[in-house]
Amino acid sequence: MKRRIIGLLGLALSASLIASACGSDSSSSTDTAVSNDTVATPGTDAGTPTTGGTIHILSQLEQITHLDPQRNYTGSDLAFVGSTMQRALTSYAYAPGSDGSKLVADLATDTGTPTEGGKVWSFTLRDGATYEDGSAVTCADIAYGVSRVFATDIIVDGPTYAITYLDIPKDADDNSVYPGPYTAKADQQALFDKAVACSEDGKTITFTLSRVVSDFNYTTTLLAFSPVPKAKDTGEKYDMAPVSSGPYKIKSYEPGKSLVLVRNENWSKASDPIRNAYADSFVYEFALDPAVIDERLIADAGDDQYAVSDGGLQPENLQTVFDDERFKDRRQDDYDPYVSFTAFNAKTVSCVEVRRAVYLGLDREALRTAGGGPYTGDFADGFIKPALADDYAPNKMPEGLNADGTPNVEAAKAALTEAKTKCPDVYAKATGEGLKFFHPDTPTWQKNISIWIESLKAVGIVIKPTAVEPSKYYPTVQSDETDYDIARGAWGPDWPNASTMIPELFLTTGGFNLTRNGDDPAYKQFETDTKAALAELDRSAQGTKWKALNQFLVDQLWSLPGTFLKAQDLWGSKVGNAYRWSSSGSFLFGELYVKQ
Amino acid sequence: MSNTDLATREPQVFGAVESKSPGRLAWERFRRDRVAVIASFVVLFFVCIALLAPLVCKALGINPLTLDRKALNDYGLPNGPFGAISRKHLLGVEPGTGRDILARLIYGARVSLLVGFVSTLLTTVIGVVLGIVAGYRRGKIDAIISRFTDLTLAFPSLLLIIALTRPFTQRLESFGVPEGNPARLTYIVLVLSLFGWVYVARIVRGQTLALREREFVEAARASGAGHWHMVFKELLPNIWAPIIVIVSLSLPGYVAVESTLSFLGVGLLPPDASWGVMLGDSVKYYRADPAYLFVPGVALIVLVLAFNVMGDGLRDALDPKSDRQQLG
Repeated sequence: MKRRIIGLLGLALSASLIASACGSDSSSSTDTAVSNDTVATPGTDAGTPTTGGTIHILSQLEQITHLDPQRNYTGSDLAFVGSTMQRALTSYAYAPGSDGSKLVADLATDTGTPTEGGKVWSFTLRDGATYEDGSAVTCADIAYGVSRVFATDIIVDGPTYAITYLDIPKDADDNSVYPGPYTAKADQQALFDKAVACSEDGKTITFTLSRVVSDFNYTTTLLAFSPVPKAKDTGEKYDMAPVSSGPYKIKSYEPGKSLVLVRNENWSKASDPIRNAYADSFVYEFALDPAVIDERLIADAGDDQYAVSDGGLQPENLQTVFDDERFKDRRQDDYDPYVSFTAFNAKTVSCVEVRRAVYLGLDREALRTAGGGPYTGDFADGFIKPALADDYAPNKMPEGLNADGTPNVEAAKAALTEAKTKCPDVYAKATGEGLKFFHPDTPTWQKNISIWIESLKAVGIVIKPTAVEPSKYYPTVQSDETDYDIARGAWGPDWPNASTMIPELFLTTGGFNLTRNGDDPAYKQFETDTKAALAELDRSAQGTKWKALNQFLVDQLWSLPGTFLKAQDLWGSKVGNAYRWSSSGSFLFGELYVKQ
Repeated sequence: MSNTDLATREPQVFGAVESKSPGRLAWERFRRDRVAVIASFVVLFFVCIALLAPLVCKALGINPLTLDRKALNDYGLPNGPFGAISRKHLLGVEPGTGRDILARLIYGARVSLLVGFVSTLLTTVIGVVLGIVAGYRRGKIDAIISRFTDLTLAFPSLLLIIALTRPFTQRLESFGVPEGNPARLTYIVLVLSLFGWVYVARIVRGQTLALREREFVEAARASGAGHWHMVFKELLPNIWAPIIVIVSLSLPGYVAVESTLSFLGVGLLPPDASWGVMLGDSVKYYRADPAYLFVPGVALIVLVLAFNVMGDGLRDALDPKSDRQQLG
């Protein structure tokens, strides 16, 4: 899933996938030591949750990127919408720490039953689940929700696993022949109805996949598998007013101003084993200046005592918050699921020596310091976080790369000299007219880009920056028309399997491939190996394959590993249950409560 | 009545034009205005620093782009009181990168003053030419120019400048202006001039309208002087004073506008420094590192104030009728 770009430490993101990987040392140290130990989450205090009150969520965004369940693909939005308004077949447990990555049933009564070795998955539906108007959630609604994913001209930006996995024929361009419910002809709809079938009694939904997907029940935690009542579907407009199946419903929604949720009286706790819905209402306040958000949370006055932020602390306020014991009960510093990286356009920077020279010569230590030093996270040695224990192994880094992140100018120059003979064109571009670096136009990136320019100048590589308005950044660099040489991004797994990382980031069909590596000589090999890893049924054998591919990627350097990111939060003194939910990397907003 | 008395009184009555030109008189009046003189020294100081930025920085052993990790603590904030002021960094360092604030301030002055001077020059030239033409020719030409002036004044210029930054800088780049900051600065100067000339033109037109009815102009016209002669020999020399005043007062305005634009993010791109960029960045750190906010803020205030005081002094000196002289 995508990480929002808001500064470098933009989003409140989480933590505790790490716990499973790195032991559970829970010293509540808030010192600056860099370690993989998890820090005790102060939000999980022993207080008994109480019902009532209003929780405020402060945001610098203009609106929730997508309220439409099928279009929602941003970590913290998934947590917010999922815990308040949209139920899916399965979910991760609502718990702090590593418990939060356990799979539990939500609309289904169990976490799914695979047959044919994992090619067919069926879920038995729970009785009593209702929408905000009191009508029952039916099997047909879930199937209809999934079918919306196929309408790729209207339902944009969401995860497309349904298209990839379901057993519906694809045309020569790898597009599904089923065009979604809005325009499908009867025969096309029949194809979908065969792949996603409801039983006679409407109690069981069965997904037939085109291949074995042994962890398909993790896929169904995505809100793309949430029900949508067909009669209420308004297509593109559904994004502004989706029908709630969870404990809260929308009272008012004004983008740029606020979103107010109140209790959905038709939701019954008896039908919902995971949501507790302590607070009476939620007020999402939009379009706030990040400095103002931090200031309000630091001041902790009035309603801000009941406030959290969806964006994490700004680097400039870390010292204020973490050097002062006043805040010790309402702050956290933890890993989130994301890995940041810098992608090369492999079409224009088609020379691994140049890419290596950039990596070796880049002052990664200065970049990390600019983001808040150790609070930024740890230098990544690949694209898989240690928290993904099944798929992670330390990689062998390029020769000469300084482990402390400082630049190795000698080694970088040596690599550049190699490039001079091997690929004179790219060499000439890198040292002459320069490499075009598209970066989001945020204050943090204005500093980062200065560090890029200055540290690579010492090597003789020229960086030419282009600042892109933050909200347009990802669409810009994901467009084929943008002629960047370097772009940046951050990505986290959709569920604990590198199959949601490596293919998404590096296959040409991946959802977030910024490297344009399709024509690279090494790509064929990579594609073959990746497809083999995806098809591997044995989880540990699959892990071995991902580990090898991770190393392969570090050798190719289509993309430079950046940081295994951490994020820091501060919240109001009367907010309970404020913890990082490991699956989204954000608060589990719906579970927050007001302390009496 | 002694000779000396005669000698001193005579010039005041008859001989001022010969022995003391108006310029000389103005200069003497200006020199007596102590505050204005100090202000002009401040201005001169800033201009010299900006012109000699590379030399000054070299002498001090600082560079606006060099990163200094050692001056930062683990939070990426300056490693010491008042933004880590030390012998090496006389005004401390920038949080996050450890770049020297003094060096960035000095190089930033270059940008601010460059934009100020070039914009002022362009607006003055355009404004004076159009203003004189409108005032001298009157009639249709005056009507056209004046309506055009009104139209330009009616534009929400700041809004337009911000909205058009990206498309127009790209256009400039495609015309061969070097990409990045040269294009950005060209754009800023061009739009500031585009919207700024109207103020000059209005004043010059007014002055010209008043002048053209004066006897010496009538006389020149009667003796058959051409347009060229009329404008350059008769009119222009007599409206220099207000022009100089406009120039000295609009220059600090442009310096401030450049800072505003950079602050709003449409000015200079990183890694280069301008005062507006520094101010924009420093605002975030008002809690963690207030010294950083203080430095560019004070520099901007001092420079703009100095220009304004100098401009006021010039106006008083060139236009003895203005009653500020008595007030001051």
